[in-house]
Amino acid sequence: MHKIADVEVQHDIMVANRKLARKNQKILDKDQVFSVDVVGAIGSGKTSLIEALIDAMNYKIGVIAGDVISKYDAGRFEKHNVPVVGLNTGKECHLDAHLVEHALHDMPLEEIDILFIENVGNLICPVDFDLGSHMRMAVISVTEGDDTVEKHPLIFQDSDLVVINKVDLASAVGVDSDKMVNDVKHINPEIQVIKTSLKTGLGFDEVIKAIDLYISGH
Amino acid sequence: MHELSMAQAIVDTIMDAAEKNNAEEILEVTIEIGMLTMLNPEQLKFLLDVLAEGTLLENAKIIIEDVPVEINCRKCQYTGLANTDGSDHYLAIVLCPQCGGRDVETLTGKECSVKNIKIEKSDEDA
Repeated sequence: MHKIADVEVQHDIMVANRKLARKNQKILDKDQVFSVDVVGAIGSGKTSLIEALIDAMNYKIGVIAGDVISKYDAGRFEKHNVPVVGLNTGKECHLDAHLVEHALHDMPLEEIDILFIENVGNLICPVDFDLGSHMRMAVISVTEGDDTVEKHPLIFQDSDLVVINKVDLASAVGVDSDKMVNDVKHINPEIQVIKTSLKTGLGFDEVIKAIDLYISGH
Repeated sequence: MHELSMAQAIVDTIMDAAEKNNAEEILEVTIEIGMLTMLNPEQLKFLLDVLAEGTLLENAKIIIEDVPVEINCRKCQYTGLANTDGSDHYLAIVLCPQCGGRDVETLTGKECSVKNIKIEKSDEDA
């Protein structure tokens, strides 16, 4: 004889990631490391921005370079003489708290003040995965088109700072960068949005100030 | 596109619960997906069907329930269901229905849960 049974499971797969994220933040807090999850579109300038911040900021910096194949970005960061841990996601489109936890074991946390975690270039998937960082900075650029923000609202709702890069190219690609700023403000009215050009240096000091302000308020 | 890894995690969770309860077949599975996750239920369902092949889950009815967005508004202290701007798709912007504010704490809407499973098992296990 067979019988039918209802089994209550109530297991949330997202909760497992959030628990690990909280654990990561505790590990970081223990060594007083402030961490920034850098998310953004492919080719928006995440790596270049982090490189420039390493050179300009008065902090000891470490970087977790997350990518489908991470060795290219990791190699760029290593040239700036900072500790770097590469994280290959393989077929996955985002970092998760579990991967970051592994990378934290290989990072000399006692030697650094700020940890930049460069996420995979993607405006969709990272939204679902908290890494345990203290701040999330979204980097996009005008070359992705001025409807990028409207099409990916949630990542801007979940971020603490938005950088719109390559604004020197806006007219060349027929993009209204003010529209991009307004779209972010529509989704997240309180957030600071900074227009930058890493080529000309426009807005870069503002990015440093914004991160500094966030660190001091932390 | 992380539906595949999430689908695999869902299948693992279901199989774990089924084995613990000595299931001989899984008849029905209810999964909850929050409306603020970046998961497409259609894709998820397709991938669950693919992963279920050749397992106890193969013939199960898979039910996916949407979990609406509930918020706590930091401005006017409203707690309850949110208004969602553009709620016809899965990229909703969350608004407070009382004051229209966007400075809100999200209480629900980010779930990806296996809620329950209905299984068939031998009566001797009862």
